[in-house]
Parts: sequence; structure tokens; C-alpha cells
Amino acid sequence: MSSPAERVLVVGAGMVGHRFVDELVRADRVGRFEIELIGQETYEPYNRILLSEVVAGRADLKALSLPLPDSERVQFRRGVAAVELDLAGRRVLLDDGTATPYDRLVLATGARAFVPPIEGLERAPRHVHVLRTLDDCRNIAARAMNAKHAVVLGAGLLGLEAACGLRRRGVPVTVIDVDDHVMATQLDGAPARMLAGRLRDLGVGVITSSSIAEVINAYDEIVAVRLADGRLLAADLMVVSCGVRADIRLAADAGLAVDRGILVDADQTTACAAVHAIGDCAQGLEPMTGLLAPGWRQAERLVAVMRGSTVEIAADAPRTPVREQVRLKATGVDLVTMGVRASQAGDDDRLVTLTDSRARRHVDLVIRDDTLVGVTCLGAPEISAALSVAFERRTPLPVDPLTMLVPEGRTEEPASPVRMPGATTVCRCSSVTKKDIVTAWEGGARTPDGVAAVTRAGTGCGGCREVVCGLVDWLNASDPDIATATGPPASRHVVARL
Amino acid sequence: MTLTPSEGGVSVTARDFSTNMGGLCQKGWTSAEVLSVGDRIITPLLRGASGALEPTSWEQALAFIAQRVQLLQTTYGVDSIGVFGGGGLTNEKAYQLGKFTRTVLRSRHIDYNGRFCMSSAAAAANRAFGIDRGLPFPLADAGSADAILLLGSNVADTMPPLVQHLARVRDRGGLLVVDPRRSATAALTADGAGVHLQPLPGTDLTLLLGLLHLVIAEGHADQAYLEARVTGWDDVRRSVALWWPERVADITGVAEPVLRRAVEVLAAAAPARGGRGAMVLSGRGVEQHTDGTDTVTAAINLALALGLPGRPASGYGCLTGQGNGQGGREHGQKADQLPGYRSIEDPAAREHVASVWGVDPATLPGKGVPAVQLLDKLGTEIRALFVHGTNLLVSAPDALAVRARVEALDLLVVCDFVPSETALLADVVLPVTQWAEEEGTMTSLEGRILRRRKAIDPPGQARSELSILADLARALGSTVRFQTAPAEVFDELARASAGGVADYSGLSHALLDEEVAGFHWPVPVGSTGSPRIFGRRFGHADGRARIVPVSPGSPHDDLRPEAPLYLVTGRVLAQYQSGAQTRRVPALGKSAPAAFVELHPALAGRYGIEDGDDVRVTSVRGSAVARARITSAIRPDTVFMPFHWSGAGMANAVTNSATDPISGMPEFKVCAVDIARVPAELLEEDVHELAR
Ligand SMILES: Cc1cc2nc3c(=O)[nH]c(=O)nc-3n(C[C@H](O)[C@H](O)[C@H](O)COP(=O)(O)OP(=O)(O)OC[C@H]3O[C@@H](n4cnc5c(N)ncnc54)[C@H](O)[C@@H]3O)c2cc1C
Ligand code: SF4
Repeated sequence: MSSPAERVLVVGAGMVGHRFVDELVRADRVGRFEIELIGQETYEPYNRILLSEVVAGRADLKALSLPLPDSERVQFRRGVAAVELDLAGRRVLLDDGTATPYDRLVLATGARAFVPPIEGLERAPRHVHVLRTLDDCRNIAARAMNAKHAVVLGAGLLGLEAACGLRRRGVPVTVIDVDDHVMATQLDGAPARMLAGRLRDLGVGVITSSSIAEVINAYDEIVAVRLADGRLLAADLMVVSCGVRADIRLAADAGLAVDRGILVDADQTTACAAVHAIGDCAQGLEPMTGLLAPGWRQAERLVAVMRGSTVEIAADAPRTPVREQVRLKATGVDLVTMGVRASQAGDDDRLVTLTDSRARRHVDLVIRDDTLVGVTCLGAPEISAALSVAFERRTPLPVDPLTMLVPEGRTEEPASPVRMPGATTVCRCSSVTKKDIVTAWEGGARTPDGVAAVTRAGTGCGGCREVVCGLVDWLNASDPDIATATGPPASRHVVARL
Repeated sequence: MTLTPSEGGVSVTARDFSTNMGGLCQKGWTSAEVLSVGDRIITPLLRGASGALEPTSWEQALAFIAQRVQLLQTTYGVDSIGVFGGGGLTNEKAYQLGKFTRTVLRSRHIDYNGRFCMSSAAAAANRAFGIDRGLPFPLADAGSADAILLLGSNVADTMPPLVQHLARVRDRGGLLVVDPRRSATAALTADGAGVHLQPLPGTDLTLLLGLLHLVIAEGHADQAYLEARVTGWDDVRRSVALWWPERVADITGVAEPVLRRAVEVLAAAAPARGGRGAMVLSGRGVEQHTDGTDTVTAAINLALALGLPGRPASGYGCLTGQGNGQGGREHGQKADQLPGYRSIEDPAAREHVASVWGVDPATLPGKGVPAVQLLDKLGTEIRALFVHGTNLLVSAPDALAVRARVEALDLLVVCDFVPSETALLADVVLPVTQWAEEEGTMTSLEGRILRRRKAIDPPGQARSELSILADLARALGSTVRFQTAPAEVFDELARASAGGVADYSGLSHALLDEEVAGFHWPVPVGSTGSPRIFGRRFGHADGRARIVPVSPGSPHDDLRPEAPLYLVTGRVLAQYQSGAQTRRVPALGKSAPAAFVELHPALAGRYGIEDGDDVRVTSVRGSAVARARITSAIRPDTVFMPFHWSGAGMANAVTNSATDPISGMPEFKVCAVDIARVPAELLEEDVHELAR
């Protein structure tokens, strides 16, 4: 007889909780675990990252819903919040008045948008939103239909996505940030200024080194904002995007150690051996980024821990903190950053920079020991995806890194038949080279049909007929006398052409 | 094509015919030359006391085989004899081979080289549509479509005449090609004719999930169609929520705007949105992976989401380059199948086929194992192997290991017309007829049954497998009747296939002779064939297609510091399969003189390799040496080798034999390697060592 299943309770059905459950079900072929997933949001699990696409009107809501947890293996309750952890009793109290027991508890409560204290906000005026949940997103999208002046506080990744999204919907928008440049977490000054230029091209106002001192309301609705320097901006929609705060309340109330997040060790385990934390709510060895990739890695690691494989963890141990790969999801702006940034490059590193002010392009590559360790790539979609692959997969780099900045496939074979080398295959089916055609012409074939009769070029699919005609025309034109004469041309003319 | 006997052989002219629109590629032009190559085998050969293959008589050769087979079966059991067939055999021969294995040898171990070709597509099509016909519509329909998505299929090099059908699509800017190389086909997308998506090898499935995500996000999914004709949409829709375009771009290396553009073109071409038609066609490039079946499924899912299958000039199809890859798998060469594309595990199918064969259904063996597993058993569970129409020593993955296992056999019988690498290892080589020397039928990728006619007499003592198998059956003491006349074998095949998925029962050689354009199966008695099979219903009992969620795995042999590059393998135009046939034709040799390694100038620079240098390509399994061909048409993290050569330049010494869990397809297309320039002096020694 097998031992009774271990009850795993997961609190939070967001991006990371969902992934964890999915991985655990996949890994657990024998039904060792009995899994329950509790989520506060009333919706089916969805892809939070794509909310900015919905704000932009670029993604249908249908594209957001995540696979439902396998109902045979997972008991999933949505619209229910955990209100208290009873660590001693190994159970969690829920807001519907019930309690649910666990052998192992996984906290994946994520984070909430941080709203700084701003005068006027205490009255909770209408049309001021954060962007974290589907509800936020719906509210913003609904207001965008008739908003005339939107402001976005915070020019981080999310703030810019929201601003570009609103702009795409035709709403005039201004983004405001206290830093002296946009996306300061990811970008150095130079690319950031280029990005700001690009945003302005798109019609997004950018104000840096400033912030909103006061939200001015009328009849419980926002009508304007006053900046720190006293300027007034009309505003009938405001999105607050000032970063997130980990949701640690449950853990803190239960007496688990918390700092900015719930403190965990390399195994994602809290001070209590039966309780783990993953995702935006957890604070472990890695820096807290508020990004998805680390959360997914933590989910995978925890599954590995629960399967008892310690080896994998060692191999998978968090690398020295690098900038996570971040890509801005905004129409009209292609920006991806990862790894070491230019300002952090050491003396032994090779830093390659390209700036092109007119095209709003900026690329920094940092190369260390022949490996690409840092990329900042703005405005060059043709190469940004390739750079991501080279960074992630650590493939060999060219000797001259500059060639990485030239999109592939731009160095075509010479298209004109005239510049074509003699050995170029003109007709693929019959393997007829340019030289064969010249030889046929030399032998007296003066028309495309004549050449075809001798060489078979163009008699199959005919894809090469144009080139054959071009070659024959060129040969005929090159020496009208010879072309009309009956005898074979002097062969040195031909040799010179190959 | 039409063959006319001419002095000293036959000459070939193109016949006007809709698949190739009168075009004929060089393989066609020169195929008559294969017939008269100098080293054609014209007598049976038996390995003599000296260890060399020596001419012998048919009687002796067959008696030798029969005696050894009986001995081995008595000692090791009936399943100790294996049969390895080929996609180049006629339908009649493929049928006869399956029947011989099941009724005379009574072994479950038969499979064929089609596994290396289209088994992933076959498995995926069966799962989705309940039926597997390479193309469920005539190829010529491609000419009326607005957009075609070609996945890993270099048709310009492998099926040049098809390029004509692409002309209109290209005029409309609708040619979408997915290929890690800027192949001849990918180059056809230039100048506004379409879009080339050049993903990192092994990421095709991710790419397709990304495209499906965009179809949904942009509201292009054909809801009405999905509701009326498809089961399982909700799960599939959810399964791609995590494959948003930016993520997919960073994994595949295909820029996000390119992904969006591809979806835009494809969606606009869908009939549901007022387009003239959109097709998704897959080739080996995406199939030959350990997740090949799932990759094809993702391609089918994309087609279903857009409401394509069964609509005019639309749908999903699989392109194969092998002569009779379609027919070869319909009539019993596949480990789990009986004629008519029937399951060998279905009692009713066993009953029916056994009655046609005049045997007790209980005597038919159960299902065997797919090709790669079959090859794994050589020398252990399988003691003797019959090889028909394939040069498996060169064409199977991890070829060095295969060679060792073949050498461990107690008996190797090879039917071939030239001394291929495999034939040279055999105990007995039987000279067989080839295509212009016999009557028969083939089935094209569009399920169209076509006649092959005899134009000349076979040379020397070469005989058809049909009569060889009949004689062998008798020598082995079997009482099962074997027809030897191709037309009669076909009639029997037709009866055996009656009521099956690939039903040929309404056909005969005589009927096919009248109708040169052929018939599309199913052709039950009285029918005129079925060019388009999904108009009203799909092959599953409820008539609906199944859409199944899939997720990507990484290549079995993935990049790591010691092997930082991907090797992809493929074919070049002038060579065909392992090259045993075509490497012997002088006119073809000229266009593809020796094995080569394609690499990007940036990569070449990094490794100090110049054009024409010898390059060693090494994986954990083995290495191959070939000439460097430097071209910017390939990704800088990938090298390409054609698989036609044996000896030092044998790509399959390097490739991986890991297989797809569903189809048994080996992962030819991608493995991790390192490369190095080989100094000229070293090479000769090496060649000796490699050749042993
Ligand atoms: C618009 C937007 C765009 C983004 N874009 C990117 C991007 O491009 N790249 C990137 O890497 N990251 C991006 N992020 C961040 C990314 O979404 C987060 O890192 C990720 O969602 C973290 O997952 P999580 O499961 O830890 O937290 P969450 O996804 O926040 O999920 C936590 C869940 O727990 C629930 N919960 C909390 N408390 C309780 C309780 N007591 N009881 C029950 N349930 C509870 C919450 O309701 C929530 O559903 C983006 C975020 C947003 C909002
Ligand atoms: S068919 Fe050739 S053009 Fe097409 S490739 Fe063949 S003859 Fe040329």
C-alpha cells in the first residue's frame, strides 16, 4: 500500500502559482500529491503580462486565459482569499469562513501596485488606476474611450507600456518620472534619451526629474495634476505605475520572517519547513525584480525540491545577479535589455555601441571572454531577437562584433545577371550555370529558347526564365555585331565576361 | 513522365501533368541514366568462403536464404527475422512485402525508411483528422491560394516543379517560409513575394505556438468553424496564452514584427475572412525532431484555428520527397498496419485481410516496433534482416552504431540494383528490377494512385521482388498463394484494402491505364476517387477534427559549452535519399561534387575556416569531415550538412537517433556539435581510420 497523498495548498493563482501547480502535476505521475489552489481573483487564471496589450487594444481577452488546472488532480477555488495562516494547526483560514488543511503550504500571493502618498489621492477620485489586475485593465480601457488627457506616473517598463497603449488608442498621454531618465532600472542615460525621443515621435509626452505633487479633483473625478515644479497638466485619466510591493501580509501576521518580501532560502523554504514562498511575494537569494522569469525558475526549483532532487538545485543555483531579459511590449518601440549594461562594463570587457539619432536606434553590446554578457537594443527589431538568442544560448560570436549589428540576409548574392559569377547556378533543376549559358550563346544560341534547347535551362518550373532572358539580352547587347552574326563570337570576349 | 525506349536505354520526356505542370527536375531528366549505370548488379551474389560477394544462381541464393531463415526461426523464434522496407517500392511490392512478413515469416518485425520521412506528419494527421493522406487536396490547388506557409520544406531543391504552383502566391506576397537557412525556397520570398522566418533550429514548435497566439490575440480565430467542425478548441486556446510574441521572438530569434506580418498574411488569405485560400504545408525540417509529431500538430492547430481544412484552396498538408512514401505506408510496411491503412490490432481488420490472404487471422503477428527501435534490436532480438529499397547504412541516424549492429547479424539479405553501402555488407544480394523495368503503381503525396509502366527489360538476371518473394515463400514451405503479375497483385491489394481508410477497391491497372491523371483515394468500388476529402467531414467517427494542445520540449541533444552549435541536415537538389542511386550518375555528380558543411562567414571567421577548407563536425556520437561552404544564407549559430554521402563526409555519423515518442521519427534535423578546421595533412589518415 502506498502512503497517503501529501496535501499541498497553494495560495495565489497568479502567473507563478499557476505555473507551479502545472509543473507539479506534470512531475507527479504517481499521485503523490493532493493539490489545492486558492485564488482571490474571481477570474479564471490569466496571463497578467498581456494586460498591457489589452490596454493597447492589441490583444483579445481570449488570448489571456491560461489552461485550467487539471480538474482530476487539482482542486481549484477562485474568488476565495486566504485570511490567516494557522502554522501550528497546519491550516489556512479562508474569507468564506472555512479552513483548509495542508501538509505543505506554498505562498504565491504576488505583489500589489505601490501607490505613493500624493495629495488628493486620499479622496480616491475616479479614473485614477493602477495596472495589476484584469479589473484594473478593464477600468483603464473603459475610461480610455473618452479620455482626453491621460497621465502615467512612473516611466518604468509597465508605465511606458501603459502610456504607449493609451496612445495607440488615440488618447493624448504624458508620462512622468522622478528619475532623470526613463526606465532607469534597465537603461543607462544614452539609450534612455533615445527612447524618450522615440516616445515623443509617437506622441507620448515625457517629463523626467519631476513627479506629481497633487491630484486635483472635481466632483470626485480627477481633472488635473500639479507637478512638483508647480506646472499644471489637465488629466482625466491617471495610471499609477510606481512599482510593486510584495504581498506579505499573511506571512507577516503569522510571524514568518519578512523583509521586503517573505524570506526564503535557496530551496524557497521559509523559516517554517512546511511553508514555501515563490514569485513576486518571495525574497530569496536573487534580487527581487518583479519580473516573471525568476518566479518561474523558483516554481521549477520548488517542484524539484519536492521531488527530492537536490542535485538539480545545485546545478540550477541562482547565477550572479544579472539584469533579467526585459522586452518592452509596445507598438512602435522595440526595446530589449539583458545582462550587463554599458555603464557596468569593466576594463577587460569589450563594449560595442551604435547610436543612430535619426532612426532612434541605440545598441550596446558587452562582450566578456568572447561571450555576449550584456545587450541593450533599441529600435532594431531585425537584430534584437537574434541578440537575445545569442545571449541566452551562449553561441559563438563573430570575431568582429560589428557584424552582429547588421541584419542577416542583407548580403544577397548579386541580383543582376551581369554581376553574377560564372559558376552561379541559374537553373536549379537542370543545374545550368551562368557559364553554361554563356557557352551556349557562344555556340550560336542567340535567344532564350535557343539557350533552353541546348542547356535545358528554364524548361522545368520556369523559375529561371527571367534570368535566362536577362543573360541572353545582356550578351546580345554587349556585342550587337556578334549577336547578329552567324558565326561564333571571338571567345576572348566571353572569357572577359565571366 | 513518359519513357520511350531509345538506343541503349530509354529517354525521358516530361508529360503534361498537373502535379508538376509539365516540369521535370533534373532528377527526372537523368533518371534514365540510373538504369544503365556501370555497376548495376545483374546476378545474385552470395558471400563465399573467401569472404567476398560472388555471383551465384537464383536457386542457390534462395535456397541458402530459406535454410538460414528456418534455422534462425527454430532457434530464436519467428520474430528473429526483420524486414526493412522502402518508400521507393511500388504499392504492389510494398503490399507483397507486408504480406510475406506476416504470413510466411510470421514475424512482427517489419518497418520501413518512411519512418525517417513522414511518420511524424502521419501520426499528427491521424490524431487530428483521423486519416493520413499527405495532402487532402490536389497539389494544384496551391496555385489558387493567396498564402502558403511552408514549414521546413525546401521545395525549390526537393520538388522544383512545385515552385510553379507558388508563382501566383508569390505574386500576391503570400509565400511564408520557415527555415533556419535561407534555402532556395526561402529565397523565393524576396522582393515582396513573402516572408522568411529564420528560427533557431529546434524552436519551430515555439514559433508555431507564437503564431497561434497572435491569431487568437488579433481576433482571427474562426469561431463558427471551430464550433461546427472541431473538438478541443478551448484547451488549445488556453495553451498558447503563455506564448506571447515578444517571448517567442526571444526564444526563436524571429523578430516580433515578422511574426505579426506572417499572421496578418495568413489570416487575410483565409476564406472565412474573404481570402482565396491559405495553406500550411510541412516538410521534414520540422518533422524530424523528438517533438516532431507535436510540431506538426501545432501546424495543424494553426490551420484549424483559421478554419482552413476543408475550405477551398486551403488546409494542412505534408510534403514528402520520397517516391512512394505515401503508398509505401498504406499497404503493410508499417509495423502496426495492414493493407488499406488498417490497424493490425483491429480484430475486424485482421479478419478481413486474413480472409483475402487465405490464412487464419490468429496466425497474423501483432504490431512490431518503429524503424529506429527495429534497428536497435539487430544482432540481439533480430538475427536476420531483409532490406528492400533502402540504403540504411547511410540514411539511418547515428549511422556508425547502425553499422555495428548490422555487422552483428547472422544473416543480411539485401535487394538492390546497385552495390550500396548496405548491399556491400550483405550475405546475399538479390538483383532487382527498378522503375522503368516493371509494371506497377505508386501513390503520390496527394493520395493519387498512378501507373508506372514498363519500358524496357531488366538487365541480366534481375528479377522483380514480386516473384522473388513468391519463390522464397515456396522455398520456406509456405502454402500461402503469392501472385507475381503486378496487375494481379494489385487486384489482391485492392480487395485487401476494401473498406479501409485507403480504399483502392474500385481500381485496377486497366482502369488506371485509361485515366492517366490517376485517382485520389479512397476509391471504393464504383467511385471516381476523392480529390478533396475534408469538405464535409473529417475521418474520425463523429466527423469532427481533434485539436490537441502541445508544448515544446528542447532538442534531445542540446547546446552546451563543448557543443555550442546546432547541426541541421537535409538534402540538396541533385541528390536523392542516401545517394546510392544518384551519386552514380555523372551529370548529377557535377552539380554536387562532394559532401560539404555550410557555415556563416561570422562563424567561419571565429573558427579560422576559409571557404573550401576541410571542417570536422563532431557530436558526442561521431564526427564527419567535409568541405566548408561559406554562405550568409545560414544562421551564424548553425551549420548544415547534406546527408547524401557516406565515408568521411557522412552526416549521419553525427546525427542523433533519439526518437519522437509518438511517431518513432528520429531527430535527424538537429543536434549539438562543435566544429574545427582540419589541417590538410591530417585528413588522409583520418579518412582511413573512419573507413576502418
Ligand atoms: C501589465 C503588466 C505587464 C507585465 N509585463 C511583464 C513583462 O513583460 N515581463 C515580466 O517579466 N514581467 C512582467 N510583469 C510582471 C509579472 O506579471 C509578475 O512578475 C508576475 O505576475 C508575478 O507572478 P506571481 O504569481 O508571483 O504574482 P501575481 O501574478 O501577482 O499573482 C498573485 C495572485 O495571488 C492572489 N492572492 C494574493 N493574496 C491572496 C490571498 N490572500 N488569497 C488568495 N489569493 C491571493 C492575487 O489575487 C493574484 O492573483 C507585468 C505585470 C503587469 C501587471
Ligand atoms: S524547373 Fe529549371 S527553372 Fe525550375 S528550376 Fe527546373 S528548369 Fe529551372
